[in-house]
Amino acid sequence: MIPDLTQEGKAETKEWKPDLTAPVVMFDRVSKSYGRINALSGVSIGISGGVTGILGLNGAGKSTMFKLMMGKLKASSGAVRLFGTDPWKNPAPYSRIGFVPEHEKLHDWMTAFDFIVTFGRLHGMTRDEASKEAARVLDFVSLTDVMHKKIGQFSKGMRQRVKIAHALVNDPELIILDEPLQGCDPLARTTIMNVIKELGRMGRTVLVSSHILHEIERITEQIVILHRGRVLALGNSHAIREMLDQHPHKILLECDKARNLAKSVMDINEVTGMSFVNENQLLIETRHLGAVHSRLPKVIVDGKHTVKGIDNPDDDLQSILVYLTGGFL
Amino acid sequence: MEEEPFEPVKEKPETYGAETPVTGQSQMSAAWSADEGETSASSAQVATLPTGQVFDQIYQPWRGTLNPRWMRNWAILRHHVLGIFKTGHRPWGIPTKLFIFFVIIASSTDVALALLFGLLGDSDLYSLWGVNRDNMYGHVMGFFPRNILYYPVVAALLVGGMISEDRAHGTSALYFSRPITRFDYAAMKFASIAIILFFIINGTLALYYFADILVMGKGWAWLIDTFPMFLATFACGILLAFTYTSIGLSLSSVSRGRFFPAIGLIAILMGTRTMAYIIDTLFDKSILYVISPYDAVAHVCQAIIGTEMTYDHPWLWSLASVVIINGLALYLLAGRVSSLEVTRE
Repeated sequence: MIPDLTQEGKAETKEWKPDLTAPVVMFDRVSKSYGRINALSGVSIGISGGVTGILGLNGAGKSTMFKLMMGKLKASSGAVRLFGTDPWKNPAPYSRIGFVPEHEKLHDWMTAFDFIVTFGRLHGMTRDEASKEAARVLDFVSLTDVMHKKIGQFSKGMRQRVKIAHALVNDPELIILDEPLQGCDPLARTTIMNVIKELGRMGRTVLVSSHILHEIERITEQIVILHRGRVLALGNSHAIREMLDQHPHKILLECDKARNLAKSVMDINEVTGMSFVNENQLLIETRHLGAVHSRLPKVIVDGKHTVKGIDNPDDDLQSILVYLTGGFL
Repeated sequence: MEEEPFEPVKEKPETYGAETPVTGQSQMSAAWSADEGETSASSAQVATLPTGQVFDQIYQPWRGTLNPRWMRNWAILRHHVLGIFKTGHRPWGIPTKLFIFFVIIASSTDVALALLFGLLGDSDLYSLWGVNRDNMYGHVMGFFPRNILYYPVVAALLVGGMISEDRAHGTSALYFSRPITRFDYAAMKFASIAIILFFIINGTLALYYFADILVMGKGWAWLIDTFPMFLATFACGILLAFTYTSIGLSLSSVSRGRFFPAIGLIAILMGTRTMAYIIDTLFDKSILYVISPYDAVAHVCQAIIGTEMTYDHPWLWSLASVVIINGLALYLLAGRVSSLEVTRE
């Protein structure tokens, strides 16, 4: 065993300067394998600013991607850069990063306050600074009233918020949250989602991984979809859906008499298929969503149909994931 | 006048509805039943106000600057060392704390006996227990009971989970996601154990020496005569603590539990010594003692303190052995920590 002594930086956070021209997070053809298993294969992405959802099934490579960012793993090939610096060689960028791990192994014997003070001090804060900041972040996640209770007594949602608070103690510019909503009750989810959205509004770069797609949709439209270690899509979720030409868009019309409405809708050239869900619901398929939506009102008015609702049931992350992964969901 | 976003609540009932002000306590109580939820269920009320309320988290950025590397390292060090005395830091087990307390008391028996016989005026017994070259060597390097029952066991208890439990509990991931180099992480872990051992070994040595001076009223001549011996013994204590720590921590870095490093350290210390003793007894050759970390350190200490040599081979060979043993242990530790990939946390 030869020591890997490639850590060249002294993590002197005052001396280290971020590369302002580089993306906050950059993966350049990054691959990571565990023996014969390729967890990530040639992933190249650059992310700066706002909230980005990292989506994928179990084993897609989300956690591996986060571990590479957080210096827990070393890339088999390619380059990982945070603020333009290789975090494996120099951990100084972590002074600007907050990480909320997925695992539940907090310091249960400590109070929430002590826990956050301890990790504030690991960032180099004095005791007074760390105490002040611990109070600030615990207030931000609404745990002020219980901050002197031991973490071991906390519920799942409170533990998640302690993890978020500990990640915010150094006021990071990049916040990485690995499955932050997992196992939380509705109120905790709402609180955590508000926290994430607020951080995004502040201009921080926030990466959130989750299996709960509709909640990611409530947080952000900017997504990265991973599948089997590869990036399948990157960008605005609606734009991605628009690009999936091989899968016709679906429009669900709720009306009084679906068959009568169908006769009128047939006149729209861009409609490629129709089906009746029931007597009052008509499902239209088209490859040109915008064109159909622009012509649909005139058709409805001219035919004197009563339409109670129009919906695009497959313009969501769930459908995008199903389409991109070939129905593996 | 700015309109209030929601109707103010006039009283605070112990129920939770749309009108309940959102404080940390009410959120916690409503969502996680931190209070006696079952007992207050009968008094639940239905929210009557037509308006709901949304609470936003308002983030107030921190405007400070992060302090330098040594402050982060100091935070790691104190987190581990203070855990022996205080809660809110690294949790050392009760058996570990009790054993450390026992060893400090047991290591001070020579202090108590020297003072006892000195104060009683029994010069024969005082010369047996009082401060002299051999007794100072024995305080640090005596095999039984100190280096079979006390110091190696304390070292084993301390190193047991030092790195391996960090890996098992996910704590190493929390360290590595901070601006902390792996060298600093390992160095502070090392320093934490070595400091605790140092205080036990050299702290009681200093107590032994200075208590004798103060209580027995030793003069300057005695001081000038014995102080170099004390310094040499002090250096031996440092060497012993360093060696036990480096072997133990390297074993901890290759393990995922606390049992293997602890047993491994004891096995290396006792196994090598036993093997060397057998060879010495059968063939009258003391050279194999160079593979025993304890004996190598003891031989070097006999040379620098100036007590009677109990080994036949040159002490420089033992010095080389101490350097090699520590070098190998630190190489293993550096190799493991520098390339440690946190895969299961």
